[in-house]
Amino acid sequence: MKKLEDKIIKKIYRMEAGKTIGQIISEVSLTILLILSSLFIFSVIVEILNEQASFDLFDFLRDDFEIIKENFLNNSLLFFQELPLPLIYILIGLSLLLVWLLYIVIINSNKIKNKLVSIYKFWLK
Amino acid sequence: MAELSDKDIIEKIKNGEIDYYSYIVKKYTTSIYRYIERKLFKKDEADDLVQNVFISFYKAIEKFDEKRPIKPYLFQIVQNELKMYYRSKKPTTSLYDVIYLEDDRLQDITDDDYLSHLNQVERNIFQYISKGYSYEEIEKLLKKPVNTIKSIVRRGRIKIKSAYADKK
Repeated sequence: MKKLEDKIIKKIYRMEAGKTIGQIISEVSLTILLILSSLFIFSVIVEILNEQASFDLFDFLRDDFEIIKENFLNNSLLFFQELPLPLIYILIGLSLLLVWLLYIVIINSNKIKNKLVSIYKFWLK
Repeated sequence: MAELSDKDIIEKIKNGEIDYYSYIVKKYTTSIYRYIERKLFKKDEADDLVQNVFISFYKAIEKFDEKRPIKPYLFQIVQNELKMYYRSKKPTTSLYDVIYLEDDRLQDITDDDYLSHLNQVERNIFQYISKGYSYEEIEKLLKKPVNTIKSIVRRGRIKIKSAYADKK
């Protein structure tokens, strides 16, 4: 019976090790992929805005407070109209996905840590 | 360890401390093994089934309500595993095999008296069968799906058996 019990436990550990490592690899690679693609989209948006000279709309910020007060609303609206909206939507979507993924990783981190400790102890035993 | 109840152990396993699963394995293996062994009488297959039971339970542990007792749940898995085992051991007939009637007394259906109980389609199929055609060949000849032919044969068999029983 002892032999059978050991066999079952060994199988469970092997299965769990594969599952946990797979989960870690997929979560880390997905996080890296989301960060890289968000950065890429962000740099494209900045590039487009630079080419359009949209940032010049905020040059008035160097002026006096009265001028800033007068122009802030109009210039901000103009700036938002010049934003490449499809790319902005994609960036928002990617950021939300990234936040959701990080939330899941943080919630599961303790569980995964415990699993790794158990697996490590079992294979060292 | 003796202070820990099944509920605490399940909670710990759910929290990722999988080393506690060995306590469940040690606690229930003997009773499950004996139960399965009594049903199977084969040691090797009993070993495999016990392993499957514990692996299935481990996979389901996330959804398992720790307030419920473990033993009835484990025995429910045992029942399912046994069902699957018996099903896998059930003899099956290949689709391409030449068909023979199950009942030897009905092997030779040439007696018009029995065939008269069947309708035209059933009679045609039984005549093809008595000539040694396979389901696949009958399918091509009659342009009907194999499953339809199988159900017609089954219905025909029942009719002939009941006619045969009446006559007896």
